[in-house]
Amino acid sequence: MNMAFKQETLRDDYTFSNSPESVRRFPFPFDEDEYMYSVNIEPHDAGPPGSVFEHAIDIDEHYLTECEERRIVLEDDHGRYVALPHMMDAQWDMVELVMTNLAKDYPESFQLTQDGDNWHWVNQPLGIDQKFVFGDTSTLPMEPFEFISRQVQGDWVIMDQRDEDLFADLGIVTGQADWSMAFDAGMSFKEWHAPVPHAPEMGIFDRALKYLLHLQYGSPVRRTNWRMCVNPRLDTSSEKWHLWGPDNVSVTAENVAEKVYLRVELQALFRLPRSNAIAFSIRTYMVSLEDLAKYPRWIKRLYRVLTSLHPDLAEYKGLNSYLPYVLNWLKPQDDGEVLPKGTQPE
Amino acid sequence: MSLLNVKVTAVEQITEQVKQFTFELEDGGKLPYFSGGSHVVVAMDIDGRIHRNAYSLMGPTSDNERYTIAVRKQEQSRGGSVFMHEQVKPGTRLQITPPTNLFAINKLAKKHILVAGGIGITPFMSQISDLNRLGYPYELHYAYRSADQAAFRDQLEKLCGDKVHFYVDDEGRRMNFTELLIQQPLGSHIYVCGPNTMVNSLVLMAKQMGWPDNAVHSEKFLAPATGEPFVVSLSLSETEVMVPGEMSMLEALEEAGIDAPYLCRGGACGRCELEVVDCDGELIHHDVYLSDAEKISANKIMPCVSRANCSRMVVNL
Amino acid sequence: MEKGYSIKSKPIYGTLVWQDHAMHHVVIAEGEGGKALLKLFQQKLPREPLSVLYLAADPQAEKYATTVQKIINEPVTIKDSQAELLNALKATLDSCYMGTQFYVAGTEGFIWKVAAVLRDAGVDDKNVFKELCGSLGRRLYCVHCKTTNENVHHNIHVCTGCGRHLIVREHFSRLMGAYMGFMIDAEVPGEIPAAEEIYP
Repeated sequence: MNMAFKQETLRDDYTFSNSPESVRRFPFPFDEDEYMYSVNIEPHDAGPPGSVFEHAIDIDEHYLTECEERRIVLEDDHGRYVALPHMMDAQWDMVELVMTNLAKDYPESFQLTQDGDNWHWVNQPLGIDQKFVFGDTSTLPMEPFEFISRQVQGDWVIMDQRDEDLFADLGIVTGQADWSMAFDAGMSFKEWHAPVPHAPEMGIFDRALKYLLHLQYGSPVRRTNWRMCVNPRLDTSSEKWHLWGPDNVSVTAENVAEKVYLRVELQALFRLPRSNAIAFSIRTYMVSLEDLAKYPRWIKRLYRVLTSLHPDLAEYKGLNSYLPYVLNWLKPQDDGEVLPKGTQPE
Repeated sequence: MSLLNVKVTAVEQITEQVKQFTFELEDGGKLPYFSGGSHVVVAMDIDGRIHRNAYSLMGPTSDNERYTIAVRKQEQSRGGSVFMHEQVKPGTRLQITPPTNLFAINKLAKKHILVAGGIGITPFMSQISDLNRLGYPYELHYAYRSADQAAFRDQLEKLCGDKVHFYVDDEGRRMNFTELLIQQPLGSHIYVCGPNTMVNSLVLMAKQMGWPDNAVHSEKFLAPATGEPFVVSLSLSETEVMVPGEMSMLEALEEAGIDAPYLCRGGACGRCELEVVDCDGELIHHDVYLSDAEKISANKIMPCVSRANCSRMVVNL
Repeated sequence: MEKGYSIKSKPIYGTLVWQDHAMHHVVIAEGEGGKALLKLFQQKLPREPLSVLYLAADPQAEKYATTVQKIINEPVTIKDSQAELLNALKATLDSCYMGTQFYVAGTEGFIWKVAAVLRDAGVDDKNVFKELCGSLGRRLYCVHCKTTNENVHHNIHVCTGCGRHLIVREHFSRLMGAYMGFMIDAEVPGEIPAAEEIYP
C-alpha cells in the first residue's frame, strides 16, 4: 500500500478528515436494521486488500495523527498507561506482536531485524531507530509496552488469565469511549464490563469470557462495537468528560451532519505466547454523518438502527442530548427500501 | 484450528517406560513461544484412524527452535502412547496444535509449590524454566516408584538446585501432604500433576487445611473411556455418526469429518461442550468440568471423555 | 433505582461465619463492626489459634471492645487509629501461614483498606470474609482530578480536590476501594439536581 500519512488534530481545531478511500473502508457495524448488544465474535482472519481487516493490526492515513494524539494525552496524564508488575512478560509479548506484524504488513514503513535477542526496530514515519535486547528493559528508553504502544493506533488492554478469569492488568487507553483505564485497572472481566446495560443479565459476558479463556495462540478473533461522538475527538475518556461533555449540547439542525460522527471500535483479541495473557485491541474509526451519507445503504440502515435502539443503550452510549437532531437529519434519507443483510457500503 | 506440521528430530529413551521426543517445524521455521505448563495435541495416524493425545511441552520456554514432550508407554491404553513408542522415529512427520495453557502459574503468588507424581513431572519442566527466569520463589516435590523410574532427575537437580525434593516409593520415602501444606507462607499456590489418587488426596488435604480453592491447581489427563457403541445425531448439520465402543465421541465426530471444537481432550477445559437435545438412554460423564448439577440435568456433554449408554443421542452441532 | 438492575462490579457483603477448616483465624473490625464480632463469637469460640484486632475510636466502640475481651478471654489488639490498626495487622501477618482465614467487619472504606494490606501479603480478597457494618458512606474517586473523597453520604458530592460536583457511578474498583465519581453538569454547567443523602 502506498500510504500518505496525514498530520491532523483530534482536539481544539479538529483538522481531522477522512479521504474518500478512508470512508469507503470504514468498518460499518450494522448488518441488520436492528441492533442489540451481542457477543458477535468472529475469527480475525485476513480480509480483502484495502479493507481494515486486511492485516492483523491496521495502520491507516491517520497513523501520525493518532500517535501524536497519544503523546499529547500521556504528557498531560500518564495515568492513561497502567502496568501492574506481574505483566512484564506480557509487555514483551506486545513488543513482538506489534513489531513483527507491522514489519511484515507494512515493510515500506517499518523494519525489524532479529538476531537472537538482539533486535533492531526502524519506524520510518515516526523517525525511530532503536536497537535493543529483547527481554532486557534497560535497553529501551521506557517500559517495553509503553515504547511500542506509542507507535501503534488504537487502545490496548492486556488481560492476565488466572482463576478462570481475565484481569485488566496492563493497558494504554487514550482514545476511549467514556471509561477509565486508571479506574478499571486490575478488574476482572465482568467487573470491568459491569456498566454495560442489560448485557450482563443476558449472559453476554459469561459467554464471551468462557470463549476468551479458551482463545488459542495463532487464532485471533474480533468483534465491532460502536458509539457516536460530537467532533472527531478521539479522547472521549471519562477523565476528560468535563471537556467533551459540553460538545454534546453544541449540536444543531444546521451542524449535525458535519459535527456528529459514527464511531466504530474494531476490537481484536490475540492470545499472547509467553505470558498466556490476552491482548485486547480497541481500534477506533470515526466518520461524520456527512461522509457516511455518500453511501445511501449505510445512512438508511443507521436511521433504522437508531430509531429502534433501546433507550438504555442510547443513554449508555451517551446519545441522548443530540439524538433527535441526528434522527431528523437521517429521516428524509430513508426511502424504506428493503436492505439485504450485510455491512458493505454498496 | 491452525495446525503445525512438525518432524521428529530426536527420540530418547529416558526410562524403561518413558521416551522423549523432539519436534521441529517441517519447513525449518520458528515455533511459537509458549508459557510454562502448556501442552500440545499430537495427531497420530494409527492404521488410517486419526488419534489425538495431549502432551505437556517440557521447555525451556525460551526455545522456539524445537519442542520436547515425554510420553509414558501405557500398555493398557488405546494405542496413542504405544504408537508414539513403537512407530515414531527421527524423521517421522506429525501434526500438532499450537500450545495451549490450561495449567499456568498464578503470577500473583508469593510462592509456588509444585507437586509431581511419575510422568506428571512433564508440565513442571517448562514451568520451572519460567519460574527460574522470573526469579519467583518455588519448591518442587517429585515422587516416583523406584530409582530406575526417576525420569529427568539429573536435569532437575541442575535446574532447581536445592529447591527440588525427591520421594522414592520403593525406598519408603513417601510424600507427606500435611507436611507439605503446613506453614507455607501466605500467598502460596500449590500445583499438582500426577495419578488421580494423588491429585485427589492432595486437593482434599489442602481444603481440610484451610487452603482456598483458587490457590490449589491440578492437572489430570483423563483418557477417554471406552464403552458401548451408540449413534450421535447432529441436529444442525443433519448427520448421524456411529460412535464405536473403543472410540470417544469426539474422535468419532472428527473421523466423520465434523469440525468439532476441542482443547484439552481430557474433560477439563470445557471447550468441546455439546448441548444434548435428546438421549434415549443414560449419559456417562467422565469429565471434571461440568458441575454435579449439570451432569444430573443431562443436557450437556463433554464428548472428549464422556459417552452414553443409549442407542441414539441428539446433539446441537 | 431501576428494578432488577444490578452492577456486577459492586461487592456483595455477607455475614461473618467461621470457616471450619481454617488453621488460624484473624478477625479485624472497626466501630460498629464490633457488633459483628460479638455475633461471630456467639456462634462459637473456635478451637484454633485466634487473633482479634479492633479499631475503637469512640465510646460505643470501646464498650464493644470491653465485651469482646470478656467473652473470648484472650488478648485482643485494640487501637484507636486506623493507621495503627493496619500496622498491627501487618505485624500479625508475619506469623500467618496458608490456612489462615481472615474476617473483616466495618465500613466499606475500612474493609477495602484491610483488603489492600492483605492483598500485598498475597491474600486474594475473594477469600476474605466481609461484613458491612456502620455507616454506608462511600469512598468516591474523582475520575477528573484523581482525588479519593472519604465518607461520601450524598449521591452528588463536591470533590475536595477539584470542586466539581460529582455523581456517584455504581461502578466499584476493589484495588482503589472506591466508586467512580464524574462531573454531573459537564453538558450544561450549573444544571445540578439536589443532592440526596442515600448512603447514610
